[in-house]
Amino acid sequence: MAGLLTVGFIWYYGSPEYTDVGYQPVQPVPFSHKMHVGDLGMDCRYCHNFVDQSHEANVPPTQTCMNCHQLVLPESEQLAPIRQSWQSGKPMEWIRVHKIPDYAYFDHSVHLAAGVGCASCHDRVDQMEVVTLKKSLSMGWCLDCHRDPTPHLRDLTATSVTDMEWQPGENQLAFAKEIMEKKNINPRTDCSACHR
Amino acid sequence: MSSVNKEPESHNPYWRSVNELEGTPEFQRYVEREFPYLDEETATGSVNRRQFLQLMSASMALGGLTACRRPVNHIVPYVRPPEDVIPGVPLYYATTMPFGEEAFGLVVESHEGRPTKIEGNPDHPATLGKSSMQVQASILGLYDPNRSPRTLRGGQPAEWKDFAEALTSLTSGLGETGGDGLAVLSEATSSPTVARLKRAIEQKYPKLRWVAYEALGSENAHEGTALATGTSLRPLPHFDKADTILALDADFLMTEENAIRNSYDFANRRDPDMPANKSTMNRLYVAEPAYTVTGGMADHRLRLKASRIAAVAVAVAKALGVNGVTDLEAPAGELDPVWIENAVEDLRRAGSHGLVVAGRRQPAAVHALVAAINHRLGSIGTAVTYVEPLDTIRSDMKALRDLTADMADKKISTLFILGGNPVYNAPADLDFGKALGEVGFTAHLSELYDATSERCLWHISRTNFLESWGDARALDGTLSLVQPLIAPLHADSHSDLTILNLIATGEEATAHDLVRESWAERFDGAVGFETNWKRLLHDGVLKNSSYRPAQVTISADGIRQAVTTLDLTTNEEAIEVVFGPSTALHDGRFANNGWLQEVPDPITKITWDNAAIVSPTTARKLGAMRKLNKLGELKFDMIDISIGGASLALALYIQPGHADNCISLALGYGRPEAEAVLSVGHGVGFNTYLLRTTDAAHIVPSVEVRKSIGTYELAITQDHHSMEGRPLVREAELTAFKENGKLYPEAHYHEPHQLWEPPVDYSKGYQWGMTIDLNRCTGCSACTIACQSENNIPVIGKTQVGKGREMHWIRVDRYYKGPIEDPQGVVMQPVPCQHCENAPCEQVCPVTATTHDHEGLNTMVYNRCIGTRYCSNNCPYKVRRFNFFNYTKDIPETVQMAMNPDVTVRFRGVMEKCTYCTQRINQARITSKVDGREIRAGDVQTACQQACPVNAISFGNINNEKERVTALKRNPRNYQILQEINTRPRTSYLGRMRNSNEHLAPDDSAANGHEGH
Repeated sequence: MAGLLTVGFIWYYGSPEYTDVGYQPVQPVPFSHKMHVGDLGMDCRYCHNFVDQSHEANVPPTQTCMNCHQLVLPESEQLAPIRQSWQSGKPMEWIRVHKIPDYAYFDHSVHLAAGVGCASCHDRVDQMEVVTLKKSLSMGWCLDCHRDPTPHLRDLTATSVTDMEWQPGENQLAFAKEIMEKKNINPRTDCSACHR
Repeated sequence: MSSVNKEPESHNPYWRSVNELEGTPEFQRYVEREFPYLDEETATGSVNRRQFLQLMSASMALGGLTACRRPVNHIVPYVRPPEDVIPGVPLYYATTMPFGEEAFGLVVESHEGRPTKIEGNPDHPATLGKSSMQVQASILGLYDPNRSPRTLRGGQPAEWKDFAEALTSLTSGLGETGGDGLAVLSEATSSPTVARLKRAIEQKYPKLRWVAYEALGSENAHEGTALATGTSLRPLPHFDKADTILALDADFLMTEENAIRNSYDFANRRDPDMPANKSTMNRLYVAEPAYTVTGGMADHRLRLKASRIAAVAVAVAKALGVNGVTDLEAPAGELDPVWIENAVEDLRRAGSHGLVVAGRRQPAAVHALVAAINHRLGSIGTAVTYVEPLDTIRSDMKALRDLTADMADKKISTLFILGGNPVYNAPADLDFGKALGEVGFTAHLSELYDATSERCLWHISRTNFLESWGDARALDGTLSLVQPLIAPLHADSHSDLTILNLIATGEEATAHDLVRESWAERFDGAVGFETNWKRLLHDGVLKNSSYRPAQVTISADGIRQAVTTLDLTTNEEAIEVVFGPSTALHDGRFANNGWLQEVPDPITKITWDNAAIVSPTTARKLGAMRKLNKLGELKFDMIDISIGGASLALALYIQPGHADNCISLALGYGRPEAEAVLSVGHGVGFNTYLLRTTDAAHIVPSVEVRKSIGTYELAITQDHHSMEGRPLVREAELTAFKENGKLYPEAHYHEPHQLWEPPVDYSKGYQWGMTIDLNRCTGCSACTIACQSENNIPVIGKTQVGKGREMHWIRVDRYYKGPIEDPQGVVMQPVPCQHCENAPCEQVCPVTATTHDHEGLNTMVYNRCIGTRYCSNNCPYKVRRFNFFNYTKDIPETVQMAMNPDVTVRFRGVMEKCTYCTQRINQARITSKVDGREIRAGDVQTACQQACPVNAISFGNINNEKERVTALKRNPRNYQILQEINTRPRTSYLGRMRNSNEHLAPDDSAANGHEGH
């Protein structure tokens, strides 16, 4: 019985579901995705502009912030670190929220090309005042989708990967099967798919 | 283990080491041990099991607590993003690696401004997209933590501007005397900008002395052509046009000039699958003292003292009727007349496609004879051209001797040494270091604070070629630019161009401006300088800029005179010494490069050392032998070699196939610098430069040798990863093979019983496979270093290599065949992971850390591995490598910059092995998916394949008919090693072909289809 309890304890409290989800570090600048994306309607790719070309979804350079904030709220106290970085040339140090281990190699561009939206992994960032880790990013979680991606594939002719409000339609399964055939989407579950 | 499936040894004529051939009990014990590399000290060490558990439980408890805190991970984006950089996507730039008179055109991969991997530039004639181990390893030279960070004066930190001031005030004073007492000592170079600045300096100071010195220069070849033709010319052999080749002490596939291009051309002409109407496979005759990779490729090899090569050249010239030689008497002494006769006959038959080449250490007269022979054959213009180099400053050892004499006589007041390390590598009789002390103002430009820097007043930190602008000509004249990949790691380092300009004009200018200035007049005005310049930067080469071949007329008188300078007498019993480059370190310039120190010499398989290489007979004569102790450590006797007044004790190593009464010494080891300035190369090997004199810089006909006291340990990899005498290399005689299609030794293959469920269906999707063509492989080991660079493989040091723990994912096995005194061939076999479809390693892993994927890859999951090493034990190919220590823990920050970000850096206790460059496969897959297409033929190149200068390695999707590898898998020469144990490896080999002359004793009875047993 005690053994069972121990196993159960570790099973629950040791899993990334418990340890990682909800991670919400304080960033050097309280950048609100809710305001920029949700309220102002900016596309994710205004800032994360290379996400469809690179394995990483680049965090924007200081210059991207200054594009607007030279004119918008140029005196804001909260933006002082950004202006400081712009003037001194010293980069911002953001805190990583979505982190997978170094031995796992994830590629944004190929997931976007397949039609997996941002929200599938990052959840409703457009509603987040502070970016929070909502999914466990554990290997099992990755594999769930790699084994059956049908609920997450969208029709890129009708919507965009950055559409935060997308919901699978009624004929999602039929569509997903068709697009998987058409685009040759067959997510790998081999170790070598992600580990190099 | 040794009794299962083992072929009777008598079937296999191949062997790797003297120990194996002799089958000594020590050797048997060594290879049969379960863990031959397990150090007994660690097995029975001071910590017993109980103590270990106590310690571990304590640290586990502590470790568990500290792990509760989440490490904070930062993302640091750019402030102002550089144009063209997409974070996470590498960029590629064309540049050039200057190497003496040579230049290698490169394409360098850069990750966010950090160069990580070097490849050849497909458009550059010296590389054609291929590379060598030095080219591959030069990336590590950039990040060498010992690189000097700043200007020093008398060893103390000083300011560059003080140096610049001192220089200008000094040189302006010299202007009145026309530069009397001013000298520049440079390396050999082919840079047009250096040549332009040299002209400017000479104009200003007509009395300037400019000397270039390379320990391994091309003086002999140039003097030879001057003797033969009246003009100093550079021979440019074209091995793609040569049917019959005679190499006289010329390792043209590895250590001679232009080796990458030579290998490429040679291998293409050695393809047995060429359509018969196009051409036939070439035939190679080699006469040489020590086995080289070129000797290993030979169809007929004559082992001969280096001092007797001249006699062969004379005999061949005489037999071919070369004017000026015909009336001479035949050279005295024993030479193999049948061998020479047949070589000559073959050359004559090949006519304008016959080619004779001589090595750089052969005297000028031999090069003169070679030019005359080629002229006589009519091959000048086809198989060889002679060109007059432009913009080239050649090495001149005699000029260095005169300069040193003048320095000692205080006739030189100001000396600028641009690169090089003459205190270390100038001939010992010059005592360059002492003469340097007699010069008032000395300055040395160098990347490391080396032996020469120490003795100069000023030391200036030099920029690496990946950090500075420059230009260079390839041996064939093709112009290319040296384009920096990164800003200098040390702000206070400077280019030789800047210093030369300072001498010429007294003004400071950047190397960038100086190079552009030189090129201003070279472009035509039609499209403007900037357009041309940008195109040049993009392409890396200026097309159609090669030299036009020179008209060659041979003077019979010149030849006659040349021959009189040769010593054709013979004293068979005298022991000679020959100096040659280290296959890895060249002249010693790469001594601080861990990759090159650790790569085994292709023939001797020695790492981290050089030794006195002799034949078994000579070793017996000297009374010195090697011993193998129970741990597999090889203890070697020492010998004393005395030349003139100098003497040196060094380890003696026996190489089967070496000429008798001859000792080969590799240069480039035993660097004298302290550990603080040469942390990798310090104390490695023996400094053979101490025995070198100007008069006998290459060959010393007679030396005093005696056995010395003491023994020396060498870390040699040839007995590591032994596959115990099974028929792994196979070959055949070309003519016989075309008739019967059989490779020897024949494998006895029985369809095995299937132990597991029916084999997986691999007929669909991408299925990765590799072939390695033994007929092309020379053993140059470029693949090993390319793999090391691509896959973040650690360097582990001599002690660890001695224990058999080397980490190379692709090793090159070298097999001898035949008797120990005179092996009748060498076969090279690169062995990476075979990616077995029925992989024995996968069956024994208790944690499924090594598994198979659906594309046929045997994958290794580092984060699962717990380090039982069962997989390695069960691997019949011995290709798995174990991280016994945390080898990457202490590597300096700069060296970390050389790491490939696409490959995991492994930790202690983890098994690793060749992955077929899975990161490159994945990248190709991602690109193809984003583009919405399939992976095309040729999209994936493994690092070893890309580097291989002979195209021996083919890789690709074997379900794709368009892949080269798919066709090669159907080639009749294709075979799998250890096929009989039904591992179904994805890597297969193509059998070696020999193209023997039927009139010469067949190299091997087995290879001709007559089983010897």
